[in-house]
Amino acid sequence: MTEGEGSEVAEKREVEARPVLAGILAWVVPGLGHLYLGRRGRAALFFAVVGCAIVLGCILHGNLYHPIAGQPLTTVATLGAMGMGLPYFLLRYGAHYGGVITSIGYEYGTAFLLTAGLMNLLLVLDAWDIARGVKD
Amino acid sequence: MSHFLLMVVYALLVAIFFAALWRRDRKGQIKLFLQIFLGLVLGGLALAWLMYPFPSGPPVSP
Repeated sequence: MTEGEGSEVAEKREVEARPVLAGILAWVVPGLGHLYLGRRGRAALFFAVVGCAIVLGCILHGNLYHPIAGQPLTTVATLGAMGMGLPYFLLRYGAHYGGVITSIGYEYGTAFLLTAGLMNLLLVLDAWDIARGVKD
Repeated sequence: MSHFLLMVVYALLVAIFFAALWRRDRKGQIKLFLQIFLGLVLGGLALAWLMYPFPSGPPVSP
């Protein structure tokens, strides 16, 4: 393989890896994928919006979904909530957060937490598209 | 926090998010933000108004 071909293969590999890395980063921390792709303003905005939704959901003692045997919809909801990435695992396994069902803000908090997860999943797709050059 | 305030905050976050996600130009972002925000708030109020005649729980026994 010549030097030119080698650099071409390396460049192709880098182009292929970029959307995957951007998607992973976008999932781990809201906005990080956009930051990686050089969209600083949007990264900050998305981080703030998704972060606000997570913080409000926790303040309201909303439910952070986890799968319950015999209730298949909780698995779907868990996948949605897990969309928020690292915050989900920090809250569930680090802070042992689960929500307070008797709290007056429980339903609202649940909506905020689930929405945060779903919004971040959309950010993963957006970062993926930007990295592939489909969107700017 | 009141139910209405929480609904407005929710609508605000969702509207900002989708306006930034789906539009790149400032004018388009503002237009979409207003559409989503007003749609959610006014839609929520309209739904609440429609549901108002329906009882919120089982009938109270005399």
